[in-house]
Amino acid sequence: MTPATFEDVTVGTALDPVTIRPTTIQLFRFSAATWNAHRIHYDVAYAVHEGYPDVLVQSHLHGCFLLRTVLAWAGPRARLRRFGWRNRGIAVPGDTLTCTGVVTACRVDGSGAGLVECALEERKADGTLCAPGTAVLEFPRTSGDGEDVPA
Amino acid sequence: MSTLEEVCEDVRKRIGTVTRDDLGPVSARDFQRFAVAAGEPPGATAPPLFLSSVLGWGAGPTGDALSPDGTGDETAGLPLDGLRLMGAGQDLDFHAPVRDGTRVVRETSVEDVTLKQGGSGPFLVITMLRMFADESGTPLVTCRDNLIARPEAPR
Repeated sequence: MTPATFEDVTVGTALDPVTIRPTTIQLFRFSAATWNAHRIHYDVAYAVHEGYPDVLVQSHLHGCFLLRTVLAWAGPRARLRRFGWRNRGIAVPGDTLTCTGVVTACRVDGSGAGLVECALEERKADGTLCAPGTAVLEFPRTSGDGEDVPA
Repeated sequence: MSTLEEVCEDVRKRIGTVTRDDLGPVSARDFQRFAVAAGEPPGATAPPLFLSSVLGWGAGPTGDALSPDGTGDETAGLPLDGLRLMGAGQDLDFHAPVRDGTRVVRETSVEDVTLKQGGSGPFLVITMLRMFADESGTPLVTCRDNLIARPEAPR
């Protein structure tokens, strides 16, 4: 559930999980939208020749899935400050990818902004870790000493 | 062909050299296509990973200038011929929203390069720093790319 304000967030809060099943069409369109001509994302014979079971989900698309998870939880009033991810395991079309997250820190910075840090994970159905990540979000404050910066 | 140690030293010499590119105005159509392809609704501002995910901003290389794997000029002028380049993740700071018509200027540099030994042989880990700003110099997105460069697998 989306917290209304910084004061509603506590360390240990679990983000609502998001499950995604990427398709070959999605991979093709993502390659097109990012001007990425690497054959590993659309040429099955090439991917198999490289030792993979099928074409590979793009590095950046794994990042998008993690971001979707944290932004859906945080809601439109939160502002994304930082985000990072690492590609640890491959995924192919038809894999069921589940993105989860947990709040790891809540702090007020020197300017009075309410910052929330989250640890994120994207895993395949067999539990294999595809992509860990972290995000820092600024939430509006209720106490009045912070500025509610619109996104 | 140069050894991976030599490539590492060549890349190391580029640390601190900044390349500045005018990427032109960002179009809502392009970042909304990115959103839809990623499975998200199109919005009035670019998705956070749009600027750092798009691999080319111009017409691109001709077909016969592409590598056999389909890649083109993604190495940002680094001496990585004959190596396989993989994106291993990014770390981003978001400063200001990117909107339709925002004219984007990118400054690219090598921040670090290290030679590592893995189970399947040596590889390079390269951190590229890309700073995206608008034409007045207001920062939009700062991105650190983690790239892995490996020698071609023996056939």
